[in-house]
Amino acid sequence: MIRFKNVSFQYTKEQDSLKNIDLTINDGDVVLVCGPSGCGKSSLVRCVNGLIPHYYQGRMTGSVTVGETDVSKTTLRKLSRHVGTVFQNPRSQFFNVDTTSELAFGCENFGIEPRDIEQRINSVVNRHGLGKLMDRSIFKLSGGEKQKIACASIAVEPIDVVILDEPSANLDFAGVCELQRMIESWKEEHKTILIAEHRISYLFPYISRALLMNNGEIVKEFTAGEIRKLSEEELHGLGLRAEEMQDPTDISIDTKDAKKSDEKMVLSNMTYSYKGEQPVFDIPQMELPRGEIIGITGANGAGKSTFLRCLCGLERSCKAVLKIDNELWNNQMRLRNIYMVMQDVNHQLFTDSVLEEVMISQETEDREEALKILGSLDLKEYADKHPLSLSGGQKQRVAVASAIASGRNIILFDEPTSGLDYSHMLQVSELLKKLRDKGKTVIIVTHDIELIKNACTIVIPFARLKM
Amino acid sequence: MEYKLDRNVHSLLDPRTKLLLLFTSSVFVVGNAGEKRMVVFYWILVYLPVLLLFVEKEWKAGLISVSIYVGSYFAQKALQHDLTALESALALMLYIITKILPTVILARYIVKTTKVSEFLTAMNRLHVTDKLTIPISVIFRFFPTVVEESRSINDAMRMRGVEMGAGKATEAVEYRMVPLIASCSIIGEELSAAAMTRGLDVGKKRSCIWDIRFGIFDFFIITLCLLCFIWWVIGRFCI
Amino acid sequence: MENNKRLNAKDLINVGIYTAICAVICCIVAMTGVIPIMMVLLVVFVPILTGIPYMLFLTKVKKFGMILILNVLMGALMWVTGMSYYALVVGALSGLIAEVIYRAGNYKSKKFGVIAYAISGIYCWANYFGIFFNAEAYFSTRQNFGQEYIDAVTKMLPGWMCPVLLVVDVLCGIIGGWIGTKVLKKHFEKAGIA
Repeated sequence: MIRFKNVSFQYTKEQDSLKNIDLTINDGDVVLVCGPSGCGKSSLVRCVNGLIPHYYQGRMTGSVTVGETDVSKTTLRKLSRHVGTVFQNPRSQFFNVDTTSELAFGCENFGIEPRDIEQRINSVVNRHGLGKLMDRSIFKLSGGEKQKIACASIAVEPIDVVILDEPSANLDFAGVCELQRMIESWKEEHKTILIAEHRISYLFPYISRALLMNNGEIVKEFTAGEIRKLSEEELHGLGLRAEEMQDPTDISIDTKDAKKSDEKMVLSNMTYSYKGEQPVFDIPQMELPRGEIIGITGANGAGKSTFLRCLCGLERSCKAVLKIDNELWNNQMRLRNIYMVMQDVNHQLFTDSVLEEVMISQETEDREEALKILGSLDLKEYADKHPLSLSGGQKQRVAVASAIASGRNIILFDEPTSGLDYSHMLQVSELLKKLRDKGKTVIIVTHDIELIKNACTIVIPFARLKM
Repeated sequence: MEYKLDRNVHSLLDPRTKLLLLFTSSVFVVGNAGEKRMVVFYWILVYLPVLLLFVEKEWKAGLISVSIYVGSYFAQKALQHDLTALESALALMLYIITKILPTVILARYIVKTTKVSEFLTAMNRLHVTDKLTIPISVIFRFFPTVVEESRSINDAMRMRGVEMGAGKATEAVEYRMVPLIASCSIIGEELSAAAMTRGLDVGKKRSCIWDIRFGIFDFFIITLCLLCFIWWVIGRFCI
Repeated sequence: MENNKRLNAKDLINVGIYTAICAVICCIVAMTGVIPIMMVLLVVFVPILTGIPYMLFLTKVKKFGMILILNVLMGALMWVTGMSYYALVVGALSGLIAEVIYRAGNYKSKKFGVIAYAISGIYCWANYFGIFFNAEAYFSTRQNFGQEYIDAVTKMLPGWMCPVLLVVDVLCGIIGGWIGTKVLKKHFEKAGIA
């Protein structure tokens, strides 16, 4: 049993906090904690795995008990024998370099007999069909595969409480299905499961309750039946994602918004292969309409990101040529004329203020113009802030602002909405439309169905492109 | 197909042997201790790492290393007398390559073939404190991350057209270092949170699924290393 | 909240990460060391460039031992990659001194931090010991560079240069630390990472 008694917490650094949480979770319950980003759902689950107060500094009142243990009076190590956590970012949760050792890591730390660990690993791997992922380097796995290993390594541990902190943020359709199977098997083992998430529909078959949070408080509690009955609008009103599970390769959208203009650009000789392997894609020629928002959809690991990198001229070994207005753009030309907003925006922000970030993109620095661009993206008040201090969505807008400032007419986005809640997804979608209104051609690769439905005027399934 | 974990999967050598070999190599190959007297051992130590690469079936890496090594060795020999400044700089570069390459290959071999878990356990058996072994294992785990991150940052700089030459040198350094360090720092925070929720702590006994013990090859290598030191000590103090 | 004096896994992981970053920077700089003049300038560039990650590292140091471990590891890495074991010995000693200095500043003071950094960085200077203390042996193994290179290096590095290089190293350490604090203030503190 997990019990929160009047718990409040205030971080020393971040803004979010928890206020007066009273909560009891019975053994074997599957509880969804949902709400828009910044609502405190991550903080709530951190109180159970002990990261609050043992890792994140701040002021805490009240008490959290897991079983018989008072979380704040024990150590993270002792707690880790009862509680296991799967985190959001698959890049940063592995301590080992090979997958097999990672599965064993928790048990090894507890000092469990090697023979027992061996049996546990065998049973988890066989139950979930992970044989192919064993004995591999984690640096060679895709995001979805990493998340599978993260789940499996928790499944190997002899724990009774499983915590999932936005586990689906980087997963596509197939990845979410795998995650569902994992949750199902934990449920069969009667583990208590706590999930912080804003993509919720995939969890409906498993949950026993759902808690809605806002501003650090639990504002509403639903039974499984109640939350399932909420309509799409009601869910969106609560800041939650409503997408149904759907394979992005067979999605169709309304194309009435498309301008259907005759202006096209022609991409030819688009092939790419890793050293000595089959080509990831091989496209002799394709036409891309201009002035549209083109969504390229497909599963994780299909090569969509590589496609964007080639299109933008970053892959030197790709010899593709883009014909536009009777001009032929090679890699160098494309590097100078196409702007890409990367999935990890942190990598493309260099300066110490948002304004400066926009100005270094301009041909000749023009403060007034830069401020105007910031204004059009609701960033004016952040002009003096450090780009890295902003939230994910704001950082993305800064990247877009510098794209506009660069005057480039083709803008690429790599998974712009991964991990975003409904309102932030809508913001991105509005942003894309704004860019289109300015006459830019926008190309996004994504597996976010709601984004595709909201923003794209043309959809190209990546699987069809590969032929 | 049924998966079955094989706890006996490990490379030819025990992690402790590998470290002893690295230590010996840095004393006698890089440090050149004993000089002429050690010449036989010297050559064994130079080519042993390549042999180990072949044992791991890394044919390509092995062949490339051998050819670089042999190439620079003879080129360096050819550049012996009456050198211009440029030639001597080249000779020095080649010399450094011949000195460092074997140890670098060995270090790479160790990193590639030693599991973090094996390393922690082997060090623990040698009674090395966690205060050294945990940071060392993080360094190995982190090198690929640093490289990955700096590649993406480099790409972003090329795409935005703010590479070297576009601005001042300080900016080129600042734009590269700041996002890299920031990114590594964030990943590090998350990494330690994850590791601690999985029970990693300092000075606690842990078990290890990998079967670590000395085999026949360990015996050979250890003997070789000991002989190196004995021969060197005899030469140094007894003659 | 856990035992505050003892180093925990988080501290040790931090040490590992910043050692990796510093080592990568050193590695890049050291590659230029084949040009004779650059070899002398190592004591200039390494302390200046590693100042940025190091000052950020110091903001994470709140307990005794972290600076010392970082220095020992850097020294060990230098030794394995072909410098001398002096780097390890000097690194351990200077790390200890730096540790004491930074503690005197309550693990907060930036001035003490800069000084601690400058002192701890002298393992870089220790790499030249081979040339100074044992010049004959050092060059006997390097005969084949041609007399000119040896002359060039010895001309640049007569005996009295040894203390000079130490001073240069410490000065550059102070400059590097100072730049580090600037970058810390300009970027990392503003961004909320420090």
